Amino acid sequence: MKELNSIAAYALSALSERGADSASVSAAYVETREFNVDGGEFSLFRTMFDNSLVLTALRDGKKGSAAINHFDNESIINAANSCIAAADASGADKDWEFGPDAGKATFVDGVTKPEMELFFSRCRELVNVIKQEYPKIIIEQLIVSHRSRKQVYINTNGSCFDRYSGSYSLMMMFSAHENGKGSSFFGCGFNTADLSVPFIEQASLRRDLASVEKQIHTKSIPGKFQGTVLVPPGCLGEILYYALGTFADGAAVNSGTSIWKDKLGERVADERLNISLSPCCDDIISGSRWTSDGYLTKKFDLIKNGVLQCFVINKYFANKTGVERSLNYSLENLAVGAGDKAVEEIIKGIDKGLLLGRISGGRPSSSGDFSMVAKNSFIIENGKIGDAVSEVMINGNLAEMLNSIRNISLEKECDGGTSLPWISFDGITISGK
Amino acid sequence: MIKDILSGYKSAMPSGVHTELRAQVNRNRTVGLMGGNIIKNDREDISGVSARSYKNGVYGFASMAELSDEAVKKVLKASLENADFLDTHIKKQREMFPAIASGKQFMDISMPDPEQKTYVDILRMLDDYISNRCPELIDRMLVANSNGVEKLLICSDGYDTHANITRSHIKFKLTAMGEKGNPVDLSGAFGGYGSMLDIANDMPSLYAKVDEIYERLMQKRNGVYPEAGVKTVVMGSTMAGILAHEAVGHTVEADLVIGGSVAGPYLGKQVASELVSLTDFANTAFGEQTPQPIYVDDEGTPAEDAEIIKNGILVGYMNNRESAQRFGVKPCGNARAWLFSDEPLIRMRNTLILPGKDKLEDIISSVDDGYYLLDYNNGQADTTGEFMFGICSGYEIKNGKLCRPILDTTISGVAFDMLKTVDMVSDTVNWTSSGTCGKKQPMPVGMGGPALRCKVMIGGR
Repeated sequence: MKELNSIAAYALSALSERGADSASVSAAYVETREFNVDGGEFSLFRTMFDNSLVLTALRDGKKGSAAINHFDNESIINAANSCIAAADASGADKDWEFGPDAGKATFVDGVTKPEMELFFSRCRELVNVIKQEYPKIIIEQLIVSHRSRKQVYINTNGSCFDRYSGSYSLMMMFSAHENGKGSSFFGCGFNTADLSVPFIEQASLRRDLASVEKQIHTKSIPGKFQGTVLVPPGCLGEILYYALGTFADGAAVNSGTSIWKDKLGERVADERLNISLSPCCDDIISGSRWTSDGYLTKKFDLIKNGVLQCFVINKYFANKTGVERSLNYSLENLAVGAGDKAVEEIIKGIDKGLLLGRISGGRPSSSGDFSMVAKNSFIIENGKIGDAVSEVMINGNLAEMLNSIRNISLEKECDGGTSLPWISFDGITISGK
Repeated sequence: MIKDILSGYKSAMPSGVHTELRAQVNRNRTVGLMGGNIIKNDREDISGVSARSYKNGVYGFASMAELSDEAVKKVLKASLENADFLDTHIKKQREMFPAIASGKQFMDISMPDPEQKTYVDILRMLDDYISNRCPELIDRMLVANSNGVEKLLICSDGYDTHANITRSHIKFKLTAMGEKGNPVDLSGAFGGYGSMLDIANDMPSLYAKVDEIYERLMQKRNGVYPEAGVKTVVMGSTMAGILAHEAVGHTVEADLVIGGSVAGPYLGKQVASELVSLTDFANTAFGEQTPQPIYVDDEGTPAEDAEIIKNGILVGYMNNRESAQRFGVKPCGNARAWLFSDEPLIRMRNTLILPGKDKLEDIISSVDDGYYLLDYNNGQADTTGEFMFGICSGYEIKNGKLCRPILDTTISGVAFDMLKTVDMVSDTVNWTSSGTCGKKQPMPVGMGGPALRCKVMIGGR
């Protein structure tokens, strides 16, 4: 870590010597070890030794940035020259600034040195368990990796943060097949620092595998109706990411396209909905400890009892719009408060709707209107989960959806990045062929 | 330019192992303007070396962020050790790939790398143009980006190569307030193979693109939601391109075929109307260079066109050397890696539905009640061939005439079902090249096609 601090300090000096009024440097050394399984067979073991160095400078209110992955002095000097030239080419903007002196902070977390034999045997065990217990499943691709990172951030205001961290991650794409018929593919994954628990027992892997095995034979839904959609944690994270990225993101607030731009302190969602951004909580693996503009991250409530508390907004956009900077910008680390009903009970209360496994679609429009294909999903009728469905679309509006919550589950799932319950939403248009 | 630090190690590559050594630089330059303010102004240079070793059916790979003799020695050793580790534990005992032709293919790697001021100046000019010519906008977002990839590849078996592929684009998103008080937007992209200087020398064409998108956006403000259901549509060439890439192309990547894609059982069978043919071009199509010209892939395979669908019959997949061995075919050079630290994967290059014989105007005038779909803002497909594209620009067709613009909607279907409904194909094609395919690693790709008349499910609101 000492060496990385020296490299960052050298780069910061190079920027100052070249006329930067203020500057920051982020340096990292990352080692990755990764196993790949393709088509159900182990295919690749790779190791990567990588560096990164990001230099950012402000000169006369103009900002430039240069990124390299070499730590030798010549490369750093070239990057500093490039960074200053980029700043000089830019336009002055008084709203750029780096975080004030936050002193020194050191973080050590996770598993910094992988146990390779145990790690590989956990991967192998997972592949074998899937073969034996979920015989219809074909693993299209499984990527399991361990990454250890040494990171340093310093700026000319005096802040100096460093971190030594490591974690395991798993990402798996798979589908189920039987007699020449196949399901849609499904993807799931998690981050963990714990090899004592078999991978198959972590996050939602078992439930996801069992569910996809039931999706080989699908039915289409005739016609179109308004129904209730029950969204499990994995899919909920994506929907909330879209909604908050469209309505609460600093760039959307600054551009004026956010329909929540004037709603701070007002109700924007059902009063049972509580959302916080928690990159630095214990159950979040490898969440950020500082922001790219130089602030230590802290947990904050985004929506409390349905009321919008804050935007997800960095210092630049906060200065532009005159609102408070948020205490972190980690939309990928959402935590949603639990509700009061078990998932089983929620299903029993749904007359007609969908259990939504995955959505296929891109970002919704600025107004929140969305139109997506319901993938890996099941019909719910009279309180029971029925057939898997295909070629079914769901339409609605994300802002209206957040105000149409029927239930939030007691149960929550944490995948090392998010901590989420199941939520059912009323009034979604569900259309088949 | 990368110095040749690799050739000296060719003789050190062990026998019985297929070995690739790659030194690579990715140069990425980006400037972003939001509402007239520069919000992104970055230059990135990422380089290093990697080695990949294939032994008895498994790969070992290693990379280091250094361009030095020492790093080459380390990654070569580590990649072999990694292959040995997997081989010892897995024991696949597969045979080595069939040999391919050996040789050298060194491209002209000169490509200008303009200073950041060029990017800023172009965007400023464009921003001034937009603020003067597009008064109804409530927001505008502009991005200038170039990414250049220079690779030096030395293989134990195959072609050695030194290549440099750069593409540059201006992308813009224009937002106006819709008739009902909701924001509506449209995006455009301009550019292709080459440096940002090529765009700077063709500003009138860039302005014309902005004018076209602005005019469509003004029409879209008064747009209507299409009627939901299975409809006759004319897919414009941009839509044909994303269909070729997402809905068909991914399902015929051999690794996904092995992973269970829908294309597996359909080889040699009819999957589309006989009017439909689809090819993944290597570097040249219709006598001209494609947007992403690949002459040698990252496994040392000389690149050739991969014919996928011929007159409606599925005739082949896209392969790397390992999958080509499995399917008993010749590899066409589809193994591509993004960064020096990435291993080659089976990727598309320039995927195109081939032109037919119909005139676009005749296709439109043949539709009594349907839609002309021009552009998308997202798209995804499944290995079952089930696809979904977000439509952001299009028009109603009534009695053979283009009528009201439509608001954002979605189309969906199953590729091999939908392609069988194609009954008219236009005689001209267009490429798009600003897209980046996501499959473990990002990858620049070209895609395109003619206009197609077909039936598809449209989502309405």
